[in-house]
Amino acid sequence: MKGKIFFTALILITGIILVLSLSMGTTFISPSKLLALLTDGEDTVEYLIIMKLRLPRTVMALLVGAALSVSGVLFQALMKNPLAEPYTIGISGGAALGATIAVVSGLDYFYIALFAFISCTLTVLLVYTLSIRRGFGPTSLILTGIALSFILSSGVLLIFAMTRAQQVHKALLWLMGDLSLARYKTLGLMAAILPLIIAASLFYFKHLDVISFGDTFAKNLGVTRRDNRNIFWIASLLAAISVSMAGIIGFVGLIVPHVMRFLFGPIHLKLIIASAVGGAVLLVLCDLVGRTIAPPYQIPVGIVTGFIGGIFFLSLLITRGDRVQ
Amino acid sequence: MKIFELQNLNAGYRGIRVLHDITLVINEGDFLGIIGPNGAGKSTLLKVLSDNITPTSGSIVFKGSAIGSYRRRALAQQIAVVHQSLENILPFTVYDFLRLGRFPHQMLWEIESHEDRSSIEQAMTMTGILHLSNRKIGELSGGERQMVRIAQSLTQSREVIILDEPITFLDINHSIQIMDILYKLNQAGSTIITVLHDINTTSDYCSRIIGLKEGSIFVDGPPEDVLTYQNIEVLYDTVCVVYENPLTKKPQVFPVPAHVKE
Repeated sequence: MKGKIFFTALILITGIILVLSLSMGTTFISPSKLLALLTDGEDTVEYLIIMKLRLPRTVMALLVGAALSVSGVLFQALMKNPLAEPYTIGISGGAALGATIAVVSGLDYFYIALFAFISCTLTVLLVYTLSIRRGFGPTSLILTGIALSFILSSGVLLIFAMTRAQQVHKALLWLMGDLSLARYKTLGLMAAILPLIIAASLFYFKHLDVISFGDTFAKNLGVTRRDNRNIFWIASLLAAISVSMAGIIGFVGLIVPHVMRFLFGPIHLKLIIASAVGGAVLLVLCDLVGRTIAPPYQIPVGIVTGFIGGIFFLSLLITRGDRVQ
Repeated sequence: MKIFELQNLNAGYRGIRVLHDITLVINEGDFLGIIGPNGAGKSTLLKVLSDNITPTSGSIVFKGSAIGSYRRRALAQQIAVVHQSLENILPFTVYDFLRLGRFPHQMLWEIESHEDRSSIEQAMTMTGILHLSNRKIGELSGGERQMVRIAQSLTQSREVIILDEPITFLDINHSIQIMDILYKLNQAGSTIITVLHDINTTSDYCSRIIGLKEGSIFVDGPPEDVLTYQNIEVLYDTVCVVYENPLTKKPQVFPVPAHVKE
């Protein structure tokens, strides 16, 4: 009952924020005008702004937010650790290195995303192979991920040290998480793949409940190693695709599952769905804040999520004390 | 019927051999208590039986087929395991936690069938935890939580139940409640295999006791044959006396303190 009210509220908030995201920006287009524009305003500048800039950007934020949050839920279950997130296993480091190489080589957005994706998939593959030798447990995953993250971020800094400042700035903007490059061409692929992978994660909703209590516990209830590996790859792909397209947007994979667990409880069927919706709306909101708070500057969304996520997390820790888990 | 057949089995971890040349048959309807000093390999033996570690050599057969030939799900439908502790405790309600025991019986998308529901309710009634149904498992006392875990194993399987020290750390009231439930299950046909540290409880309840020493079977038989002071003194390297429990007529073991040894 409580869950239903929260979920209805969540959907309502999503609707409001979606409308705001389309109407607000450098040019304000009132919500009432939105509908009129979409039906017969095809030649106006406002129509172009909405269709070519704000809509793809909003859709990208929705997809990336949902994917990162669901990925967080899966990693937290796999590692039995509410503080685990996609970046714990070095996905961000891998993507950062690939993207930086592409940026300093002067390649365009498509190649930046491609390099980032290849590089972080290789990182995940390495984490996977190394930790499987030690039983694929949470500790081995986290330790391998942290070690690789250090190496990869040193690699990024090494490239920065040997590159002209202008290119470094461009790469830094990408690293901060940037949705301003969203265009239909790349978006189409994402819009097709990410929802499919999120749906695939729902196949494992009961496995995730069982796995959360421990690996031996899960094994004795019939969860196989292959189930574990499939969940790992679903979680990794969600994060890898998101990061490659939108840069390193931190905290979403951590904070959203956390709040949703508090609102909807620990059972994964609800948790996955709620986190997908919650993550989507949070990222749209953060992007909206980022591009409207300090005109003419557009603040990269990763900075906003960092601020909002960090402050929110701290306040949760202070007010709820040890009940945060 | 033979439930488990172990033949010249060796097992261990990372090159350290824990179990040596174990040959053993466990029959349907056994209430088997495994005792022995710390480090004797009791938990390892349970891990072998629940297919959590693979033997380095020798064979283990479950109901006529090599245990490795079963799918995990098929094993999970027949063998329930209660470990010493849970690796992680989430704020599940008791009811939701018990439903996890139904996992190996359910279809991919199934949340709760009629059968699941009656199995859960039956397990709660039998273990006397109906009143805890909506409580969070993290908020329960140690005794209540252990009862919940026993109930979960019942929703999973009543055929074979394997327990690792189910009553260690519990007060005598909870201990006896859990042992009484296991006894009732055994009377109804369940095969129970449990590691216990309390020799006298083992004696009162189990129909068969195995004493493990340094990874090998040291004694195996009914309590009356196993629990003699000659056996126990060698098994635990401790001076003991043995008396009969006036009610159960089972042997009871009392270690002798150093200050009365003269």
